[in-house]
Amino acid sequence: MKGGWFKLYALAYLVFLYAPIVLLPMFAFNDATVIAFPLNGFTTKWFSEMWVAPGLWPALKNSMIIAISTAVIATALGIFAARASTRYKFPGKAGIMGLIMLPLVLPEIIVAVSLLVVLLGIGVPLSIFTVILGHVLMTTPFTIAILSSAFQSLDRSLEEAAYDLGETPVSAFRLVILPLVMPGIISSLLISFTISLDEFIIAFFLGGTQVTLPVYIFSQFRFPQSVPVIMALGTILVALSILLLSIAEYFRRRGIAKSGGKDTGGFL
Amino acid sequence: MKRSARGAGTEASSGLLLVSPPAIYALVLLAAPLATIILYSFFTDGYLEVIREFTLANYWETWVNPLYRTVMLRSLLVSVLVTAATVLLAFPVAYFVSFHVDPSRKSLWLFLITIPFWTSYLIRVFLWKVILGYNGVVNSGLLSLGIIDEPLTFLLYNTNSVVITLAHAYAPFAILPIFVALEKIDRSLLEAGQDLGETKFATFCRVTLPLAMPGVVASVLIVFIPTIGDYVTPQLVGGPEGRMVANLIQLQYLRLDNYPLGSAIAVSAMGIVAIISLIFLGLTRRYLRAPK
Amino acid sequence: MIPKPAASGQTMIEFKDVHKWYGDYHALRGISATIRAGEFFSLLGPSGCGKTTLLRTIAGFEGISEGVVLIDGKDATDIPPNKRPTNMVFQSYAIFPHLTVAQNVGFGLRKQRLAKADLDARVAEALEMVGLKGYGARAAHALSGGQRQRVALARALILKPKVLLLDEPLSALDKKMREQMQVELIKLQRQVGITFILVTHDQEEALVMSDRIAVMFEGEIAQLSDAETLYRRPNSRRVADFIGTMNFLPAEVISETAGSIEVEAQGFGRIHVDPKQAASEAPGKSASIGFRPETLTILHEGQQATDREVGAVIEEVVYYGDMTYYDVKIDGTQKMVRLSMRNVFGRPVLDRGARTRIAWSPGALVLFR
Ligand SMILES: Nc1ncnc2c1ncn2[C@@H]1O[C@H](COP(=O)(O)OP(=O)(O)OP(=O)(O)O)[C@@H](O)[C@H]1O
Ligand SMILES: [Mg+2]
Repeated sequence: MKGGWFKLYALAYLVFLYAPIVLLPMFAFNDATVIAFPLNGFTTKWFSEMWVAPGLWPALKNSMIIAISTAVIATALGIFAARASTRYKFPGKAGIMGLIMLPLVLPEIIVAVSLLVVLLGIGVPLSIFTVILGHVLMTTPFTIAILSSAFQSLDRSLEEAAYDLGETPVSAFRLVILPLVMPGIISSLLISFTISLDEFIIAFFLGGTQVTLPVYIFSQFRFPQSVPVIMALGTILVALSILLLSIAEYFRRRGIAKSGGKDTGGFL
Repeated sequence: MKRSARGAGTEASSGLLLVSPPAIYALVLLAAPLATIILYSFFTDGYLEVIREFTLANYWETWVNPLYRTVMLRSLLVSVLVTAATVLLAFPVAYFVSFHVDPSRKSLWLFLITIPFWTSYLIRVFLWKVILGYNGVVNSGLLSLGIIDEPLTFLLYNTNSVVITLAHAYAPFAILPIFVALEKIDRSLLEAGQDLGETKFATFCRVTLPLAMPGVVASVLIVFIPTIGDYVTPQLVGGPEGRMVANLIQLQYLRLDNYPLGSAIAVSAMGIVAIISLIFLGLTRRYLRAPK
Repeated sequence: MIPKPAASGQTMIEFKDVHKWYGDYHALRGISATIRAGEFFSLLGPSGCGKTTLLRTIAGFEGISEGVVLIDGKDATDIPPNKRPTNMVFQSYAIFPHLTVAQNVGFGLRKQRLAKADLDARVAEALEMVGLKGYGARAAHALSGGQRQRVALARALILKPKVLLLDEPLSALDKKMREQMQVELIKLQRQVGITFILVTHDQEEALVMSDRIAVMFEGEIAQLSDAETLYRRPNSRRVADFIGTMNFLPAEVISETAGSIEVEAQGFGRIHVDPKQAASEAPGKSASIGFRPETLTILHEGQQATDREVGAVIEEVVYYGDMTYYDVKIDGTQKMVRLSMRNVFGRPVLDRGARTRIAWSPGALVLFR
């Protein structure tokens, strides 16, 4: 059967997709400083070395602050934009939404350097704050994509029914719209958090002396003896991402089920 | 008529009011900065500051200096190769998930395809270095199987490795738009194609492929545009031969402090990407008209 | 049946020359009408004629471009939907999917800050009224179409609005369910005595349910009257065509006096028509005579007409079980007309091509000119 060959191909493709990720735990538990085959026996020492690695914890702390702030701000901005674009007609809509969504297709390096030039030009010192500014810009389009589909699947008459039953626009939003798009909001928070946590270029350009986790990892690649620790760290990060994504996917599906829609799949 | 103007006005003004926070944010932190680097690209570089004097020298440098021109052209080549590889490899997967996977399992497949995309990009790229390196997975595998006698060296630190790594990184971006386009195809159209005497393959060429084109076009653009500006992959697996435009921009901005030249390179790269994308859209325009 | 409290005759809703523009599109073109307190009023018309738009101007979801809407004597222009004494049953029912049935029904009572016991009692009462006693704890998404509709009704009625607005509430139900709900809605309206305004494009539904019906075409009210007048004496060819079937034959007005109009009608000859039976379309158009399929009778062998009779040939026969439709050509006419006969026992179904006689009476004819 024809589908059989396709299936074989698709499975081979999955192997290609997962190849690097499968290697990660292998080297994280491998008792050797050099990242190469053959493997050398099992150890957990890289994980324990991780606890005392200099610079890792401050980087993690910076990354958490940045990722949480980014998630909250980008999702808030995303709610405004998604609501405006799904519910209202206004002049220049296509242009305005196009500008907001532009970072989705713009190379990150362009965003990074242009922001760098302007921030230095007006004398804003580089810090965690400037990284947040950049990350919010990058992640807002993703939040809008997720939240738009949440707002889109809302029947407009639900909102009107709430007005009709005596609620003001504000209380109708709180009592009807917000609970119904809540799964979308949660998955938007999780996804913008994940993107921000993993983002390198903007953090590299705009972080100044403040190092984030990816910037820290990037700097460690230069020292071969630190790489096994990074493998250990990577293993934990991958496990966490998969966990977060599963939660996000769960909420996304629940949201769709709740509003009675049809699952069209995917985060994008 | 007076009231109607007011009625229409409230709708538009509520919409504008609501969209204003993200719009102002994008205006201040995206549109204005982009305009600034375009402006900078026409300024002259002083040693410690930018001299506000109009010049085309930066563009001259970018396009005539073989050092920069080579990197620019290589970036373009890499992007084109990555896009072709990614989209061609992705299409059968999207086709399989859309046409051969049980509807209840489709979400699971999509989930499996997207997961690698969400795991640390830096570490993934680094692991490709491990896979393709001198003592890497591929080499040690081939050695132990006796296929080669000594490790292959053309795998890492060149354009090949950049293309492979980027094709891996952008895989889900290519699969999802094609999948969405394939999902939208009314299955009875395919039966109609066969009913009208076409073979399965001819039906695929004459019905499925044209209808999937919007998805293919979207994947091409969504892969092509960002890859040209990728920094991490060429830096980690590219070696000196694999450097791309982003590395050049980083060099100008952070090492050499030459903002005008860096800006000219960045603007040129954006310009090329925009022009190629528009040409591509023009060529595929006939497939994109939404059937209403 | 519960006796109907006579509609008080007071005006509940008044439209005064209401216009609505969507950009360049003129959706409502000078609507003037009154709806009385306590009546069951229907807005009937083809798709896109502006029924929903007109209903939504009452609810306050749609601002109007010109004119005024008065609700219970007050200009409603600046009253927002949440402050109007109207409630709506939406076409999609708009049941809040994240709430239970009871929470849905009690949604509008939030502002009244009732004690829990009072709230529960009111909700239970409303649910009982619509026949959903005991369904309060159900999740809203686990309801059938008919049940959702009842929840929507209970949710609107619990607030004791002055006017209940229903936008095609039955169109999502299957035929059986729809007929059952029609009867229930009529009973409910009689029980609560609230003004009901129903939007429908189903003429049968409107005729069955309403005290009065406004027939709309292209943003205008073409005729506003009770069901029987609408059916018996439509005021234009368009209304006549939209409601049931109407046959037309060419005619010519000969003379006109206060009490009677003398008409030369093809096939029927010279007749006198009561001015009440004459639609008042813009004069000058060529006149015609209209009649409903069931108002003429095909006579069988030996049967005598009570009033007048005319010869005809049967051109087509369509058998429907309880009825038979005959397309016939009346002597002296070129146009086919449709007649319907009940298939009573002992009455043979006639064949195509048969000659027959038809009994008619001038009282059944309507003059259009
Ligand atoms: N928001 C809007 N913007 C522009 N035009 C509209 C809008 N709402 C309605 N219209 C137009 O106004 C006209 C009347 O619409 P309306 O919904 O009142 O029709 P309707 O009589 O309820 O029809 P249906 O039986 O199909 O529901 C239609 O031609 C419609 O296209
Ligand atoms: Mg309607």
